[in-house]
Order: sequence, then structure tokens, then C-alpha cells
Amino acid sequence: MTDCPDGDIRDLLPDLLHGRLDAGERAAVEAHLRECADCRDELELLRRMRTALRRAPAVNVERIVAELPPYRAPTQHRPARSWGGWRIAAAVTLLAAGGTSVVVARRGDRKPASVASAPATVATPAPRELALAGGTIGELDDSELSALIDDVGSLDAVTPADVDNAAAAGPIAPTTSNGTDE
Amino acid sequence: MSSPVPTDEPTDLELIARWQGGDQRAATQLVERHAESVARFVGSVGAQVDVDDVVQDTFARAFASLDSFRGESSLRTWLFTIARRLVLDRRRSERRRGGGTRMHMEVQDADAVTEYDALDAVVADETERRMREAVARLTPTQREVFTLRVGEGLSYKEIAEAVDTTEGAARVHYHNAMRAVKEFLDD
Repeated sequence: MTDCPDGDIRDLLPDLLHGRLDAGERAAVEAHLRECADCRDELELLRRMRTALRRAPAVNVERIVAELPPYRAPTQHRPARSWGGWRIAAAVTLLAAGGTSVVVARRGDRKPASVASAPATVATPAPRELALAGGTIGELDDSELSALIDDVGSLDAVTPADVDNAAAAGPIAPTTSNGTDE
Repeated sequence: MSSPVPTDEPTDLELIARWQGGDQRAATQLVERHAESVARFVGSVGAQVDVDDVVQDTFARAFASLDSFRGESSLRTWLFTIARRLVLDRRRSERRRGGGTRMHMEVQDADAVTEYDALDAVVADETERRMREAVARLTPTQREVFTLRVGEGLSYKEIAEAVDTTEGAARVHYHNAMRAVKEFLDD
């Protein structure tokens, strides 16, 4: 048995066999078949092969259905809190600017070091103290992180105009551990 | 290329929705619609003895996670994917146990005759027996692709999804399989 050199047509023969060609493709393939003995042979081979392959082992539908798990609706997960992109930007900007409402205190026996307030006035919720461990966010413990997140969350009340004002005020010079400017 | 001709029958997605609404008859319809195809596929890749178990597990797993089925592929293709994974899992388990006494998943040349001698009892026709023997001599991947293309009429895209390969690779496997089948039958 030889192969027809028209690979595209040969590719469509199984689809013709299974009735999966649209009218145009079917007409093209059938026209080709009238002229091509190799493709007629291959289609006949495919037909016999399908018959051979379709001898299915018996299946017990009732048993399969009886063993199916009962349907359980998926549990509803509480959607993650969604923060607007600008609010995150606001949080970053305010923290970088030294913040007007977040007072950074050193942990332990060190004297708390307050970050000087930026001159800009931002309408935020009432300021409250937030302890930072060693002065970096990476060293915060869980409760401190939680408090910081709450503070950032409270920035919902901040408007884009507030952010612009705070940014325009410029960053505050960092402070040393004893609270003096470097 | 078009999908099989639509009928008045409810679609798979409609039946799934009915089952999720508590209609057990919808589950029966889905199993009746697809179980034979899955059994043919599982049988063709060599899991002859455990076809029932694999088909059973395929539907159990599919129904346990039908919420994750979004209909991007056909349900039948998705079932083939699950069945194939189960066959591979069983094949690995057999290998780990150093067994293979019941499972002849990878039917090599030497095994093929034995495998299909057993089938002779049910496949009386000589031509048909030769056809099945030709398929049995294909490599496992060629056999999967050839069976899905010729036996089930899947497109290369659907085959690629079912056997975790690319459309191009599926096409190559199909044509290599067809060449091997022809050579065997011409001998």
C-alpha cells in the first residue's frame, strides 16, 4: 500500500470517516478520492481499523453510576481584600515621606525614635503609634505587621489629592537611632 | 473541521448542570454517552484486564471534580486525559512492584502476539485480528494517538490535550503509526 503525496488530504481522512468535516472540506476530499486510489485504499483501511478498534470491552453503566461520588457544591472562599492600586501607592509614598500619621518607635530599651513629620498636611485618620522592631519593616513581628497593615488599610480615607500633596512635600531625611539627623 | 452533528440531545454541559442540581439521571446519561469510548481507549493502550476498574475510577474522579471542568475542551477529551493518567499511574505501580503480570500496558513486540492471542476468542475475523495486532505493535504513544484519531475521531488538538503533547507531535505520531500499520499489513 503506497501513500498519497498529498499529506493535507490524508490528514483529513479520519475526519471524513467520523463525519467531522464541514461541507466544503468534505467536497474537496471526496473530489480527491475520486482521482486517488491510494487515498481510497487508506480510507478503506481506516474504516476497517475503526471497526476493529471500536470493539469495546463491556462496561457496566449502572455500577459506574452507583459508585459516583455525590455532588458537593464548592465552598465559597472569602474574597481577598482588594485594595485599589492608588491606595497601595499612597501607602508607599506616605511611608517613604516619613509619614504624618505613623510614628516609628524603637523596640526594647532604646528610646523611641520619632520620625519628624513632613510639613504637608494630609487628611488621614487619627495618628497612632506603631512600634517598629529595630527600625525596619522586615524585623516586625506578627502583631506589629498586623497593626501596620491596619494603618495602611485606614488610608482608604485618603484621596489622590492628599497623596499628591504629601509627595509634593518631598521626603524627610532619615534619622539615626538616637533620633538625630545624619 | 466541524464537531459531530448536533442533535436534540442535551449537551454534556447541560447534563452536568442537571446532575449538580440533583438529577441522577443526568449522571447516567453522561456515563452511557462516554463510558464505551473511555473503555475502548483504556483497552487500546493495553490495560485489558483492568479496563473496568480504570473506567470506573475515571468517572469517579471526573465527577468528583466536575466543578473544575469549564468546557474549554470536550468532556470526552477530559475523560480521556483522566483515564490516561490512571493508566500511567497503574503502569508505574506495576513497575515498582516488579510486576506486570496483570497489566500489559506497554505491549512490546514480543508481548503483542500473546496479548492478541487472548483476544482471538472474541475477535473471530482474521482481518480484524490483524488490524488489532498491527495497532498492538505500535509504540505506546503512537497507539494512544492512532486510537484516538481513528477509533474516536478526535482532532489533533483534542489528542494533544488528552495525551499531553502538541498538535504537531500528535500529527507526526499519527503518520508514523499509519506507516507502521501499513507495513505490518503488507508483510
